[in-house]
Amino acid sequence: MHITLKIYSVLVLLIAWVVLSFVFSPQILPGPIPVFQAIGENLTSGDGFFHLYKTIFRVLLGLAIAMIIGSAFGIVMGISPKGEKFLESWVMVGLTIPAVVYAIITLLWFGLNDFAAIIAIGITAFPAVAINMWQGVKDIDMQLVTMAQAFQVPRRDLILKVVLPQTVPYILAATRYALGISWKIATTVELIGMSSGVGYMLNYWFGLFSMTQVLAWALSFTIVLLAIEFLLINPFEKRVTAWRAVVQV
Amino acid sequence: MKKIIVRDLTKHFIRSDGSRLDVIGGLSFAVEEGEFVSILGPSGCGKSTLLNILAGIDHLSGGEILVGERPLLGGENGVKLGFVFQQPRLLNWRSIRENVRFPLEHGSLSRDEQWRLAQRYLELVKLKGFEDYFPQQLSGGMQQRVAIARALAIEPEVLLMDEPFSSLDELNARKMRAELIRIWRETGKTIIFVTHDIFEAVYLSNRLLVVTERPACVYESLTIDVDYPRNYDDDRLFEMAKKVGRFFVKMEEGHGA
Repeated sequence: MHITLKIYSVLVLLIAWVVLSFVFSPQILPGPIPVFQAIGENLTSGDGFFHLYKTIFRVLLGLAIAMIIGSAFGIVMGISPKGEKFLESWVMVGLTIPAVVYAIITLLWFGLNDFAAIIAIGITAFPAVAINMWQGVKDIDMQLVTMAQAFQVPRRDLILKVVLPQTVPYILAATRYALGISWKIATTVELIGMSSGVGYMLNYWFGLFSMTQVLAWALSFTIVLLAIEFLLINPFEKRVTAWRAVVQV
Repeated sequence: MKKIIVRDLTKHFIRSDGSRLDVIGGLSFAVEEGEFVSILGPSGCGKSTLLNILAGIDHLSGGEILVGERPLLGGENGVKLGFVFQQPRLLNWRSIRENVRFPLEHGSLSRDEQWRLAQRYLELVKLKGFEDYFPQQLSGGMQQRVAIARALAIEPEVLLMDEPFSSLDELNARKMRAELIRIWRETGKTIIFVTHDIFEAVYLSNRLLVVTERPACVYESLTIDVDYPRNYDDDRLFEMAKKVGRFFVKMEEGHGA
C-alpha cells in the first residue's frame, strides 16, 4: 500500500516533468530522456564517478563532524540546565548564519581544499544535530533510569540498554536533517572554491548554459541521497523500531 | 528472624532556595522474615522516599538500616531487593521475556539460567504464552504482572512495592491483590508494600504501619490476625479498616492542634 503510493508519487512527478518539457524549450526545461542520457554519458566517461565520489567523501566527513559536535552539544544541553543556558545561543547563532558565510570563511582560512570544505559542512550541519539530540536527551524517561538503578544495573548497561534505545529516533532524525544540509552546503562550497565535485560541475555547466547537464548533475546526487536513505537509514530504522510495527497491529 | 531493621531513619532534602525539607523524621520499624508489611500513610508523606532509600536510589540522612543483619550501604552491598513501581516501567522495545531477563543480564548467571529464571517467574505470574509480546500489547494489569515477575526474577531477599496497583481499576486491582497473596505464599518472600489505600493494606498484610504526614514517623503498628486467603467481605477486615480510618482522623486532629 505504502510502496505503491510512493511509486505513484514518483510517476506523477515524472509525468509533470514530461508535460512541462513539451511546453518549454529544451534550453529552459529539457525532458527526462535527454537528462538521463546525460547522466549515463557522465558516468560512462569516468569523470562522473570521480566528481560524485568527491562530493560524497566531503559530505560524509562533514556529516561525521556535525554528528560528533552536535551530539556533544545536544547531550550537554539536555543533561545540564547550565549547559543549556550557555550553549543555546551558540546553536541559535549557528542556525541563523547563512551557510555560504561559513563556506567563504573556511575557504579564506584554510584555502581551496577538501579540509576547508569538510569543516564548512561540519559547522553548517551541527546545529540541526544539536537541536535534535538536545530534544532526545530531554525526552529520556527518567523513570526507566531509576528502575534500572533500583535493579543495580551498571552504568554501561544503563546507557546502552536503557538510554540509547530511547534516543534512536532522535539520532535518526538528526542524521537525516544533517545529511540534507551537508549536501546543500557541499555543493555551495564546491561552486565557490573547489575544482571538483558536483557543485563544481554545476558551476561549469552553468557557465556553458547547459540546462540538461545542470539537471543531470543535480539528479545524480539526488539519486545518491535517496540510495543512502533507502538502502542504509530506512532499513536500520525498520530494524530498531520493529517492535512499534508489532504493537500497532 | 528479623529481616529488616530500620532505626531512627531520617531524610531531608535541601530545596533550591536553600531551605530544608524534612521528609522522614526518625522512622523505626522491623520486618520479620517472610512477613507482609504494609506502610500506610497520606499521599506525599515520604513513603516512596523510604522505599527509594531501601532500594538504594536515594541516600539516607541519618539512622541505620539493616537487611539480614548487614547494614544497607546505598544498595551496593550484595543485598538483593526487588522493586515494583507504581507504573510498570517496562522497556517498550523489548519483549516480555527480555524485560523480565533485563535485571539478570549484568549478573553472574549463564544465559540459559537467565532465560530459565525469566520463564519460571513469567509462569508464576500467569503470563505463559505472552513471552514474545511487547509491553504495549498488554493491559495495564498484565504489564504490572511483568513488573512483578521482573522483580522476582532476581530472587530478591525482600520485595519492595510502591503503590503497584493504584493505577489499575478496582476490579483489576482486586484480582492482582489476590494474585500477589498467592505469589507471596508460594515464594515465602518478605514484602514491604507502600500504599495510601486503607482497605488494600488491611486486606494484604500481616501487619501494617500507619505513618504520619511529613516528616514521616510510625504512628501505629497493627497486626492483622486473619487467615489467608482472605475474603473481601470479611467483617474482621472491615472492622480493622474502620479502626485504621479512625487513626487517620486522630492523626489529623493531632496535627491540627
